[in-house]
Amino acid sequence: MSFKTRPEKIMVFVEANEESITAAQYAVCLARWLNCELYAVYVVDVKTLHDLLKAKIFVEMEEMDYQHDLEEDGRRYLNYVRDLAESKGVHIYTDLLKGDVVAEIQRKVEEIDVDLLVMGKLEEPESRRDFYYNDGERIFRRTPCPAIMVKEDEPVRLMYDQL
Amino acid sequence: MKLSHLLTPELIKVGLENSTKEKIIQELIDIVVAQGLVSDTDQAFMDVMSRELQQSTGLEAGIAVPHGKSTSVDQLVGALGISEEGIDFASLDGKPSHLFFLLIAPPNMSGPHVRALANIAKFSQNSRYRNMLTEASSSEEAYRIIKQAETEDI
Repeated sequence: MSFKTRPEKIMVFVEANEESITAAQYAVCLARWLNCELYAVYVVDVKTLHDLLKAKIFVEMEEMDYQHDLEEDGRRYLNYVRDLAESKGVHIYTDLLKGDVVAEIQRKVEEIDVDLLVMGKLEEPESRRDFYYNDGERIFRRTPCPAIMVKEDEPVRLMYDQL
Repeated sequence: MKLSHLLTPELIKVGLENSTKEKIIQELIDIVVAQGLVSDTDQAFMDVMSRELQQSTGLEAGIAVPHGKSTSVDQLVGALGISEEGIDFASLDGKPSHLFFLLIAPPNMSGPHVRALANIAKFSQNSRYRNMLTEASSSEEAYRIIKQAETEDI
């Protein structure tokens, strides 16, 4: 990450959940206040699909079918986030990636030299496994740039509405 | 989705009564139907069986994961059936299956379905908890074992 006097590129990590939408609303606010470029990225977790195929829980046709569904989910969420940004006059670049979620986010952050990663609130970990292996936890800890987790939905929604 | 979030003691049956694949699947579906989670029992059965006909979901080490997408549910639903004696479910290793994890998801809910299947796969790799679950004497005990496995890092 090169030296900058303020963040110039913000990336929001989008998943198929409400927390991601709140994070996206906050990212839109930040992008407009700070006049930043805004990126939204969704990763289709094909690694888990491959693992299920290897474990013989999935057959090949099923793996393809589920991958297609997950891609559709990703497109739907990214389109929604694009609407959130554009309705507030903020241009947004969206990207649907496939692979290992943590690795892909990390790669994208480095590739576009992101200054700030925004992500939704994580579930409370119930075990050490959750803490160490949850994708969101790992992204938050490993990302090479500053990262913020958006925790409160109602204040963010109000902030976004008034933008 | 974690198994302990998907299941409750009411969705676990210790001592399955049937001994053929079709009847076991129907018995598992009856568990979720009894909890009011399925709107069309026949549709759910057909959807799970149609996946089963592509390839048996009887895996190795006594685990079976009959599953499918179905319009008969409006959220991801699951049930666990346990047979200590074991049942022939055309498993990959040819051995009897003891733990039957049923999962039915609406067609538009693949993400949680995939995560739940991944959690079952993870659980299946731990022989200690597999054996404890197979020997559980009640649905409450089985649920506690699942919860314990998740918090003790399977």
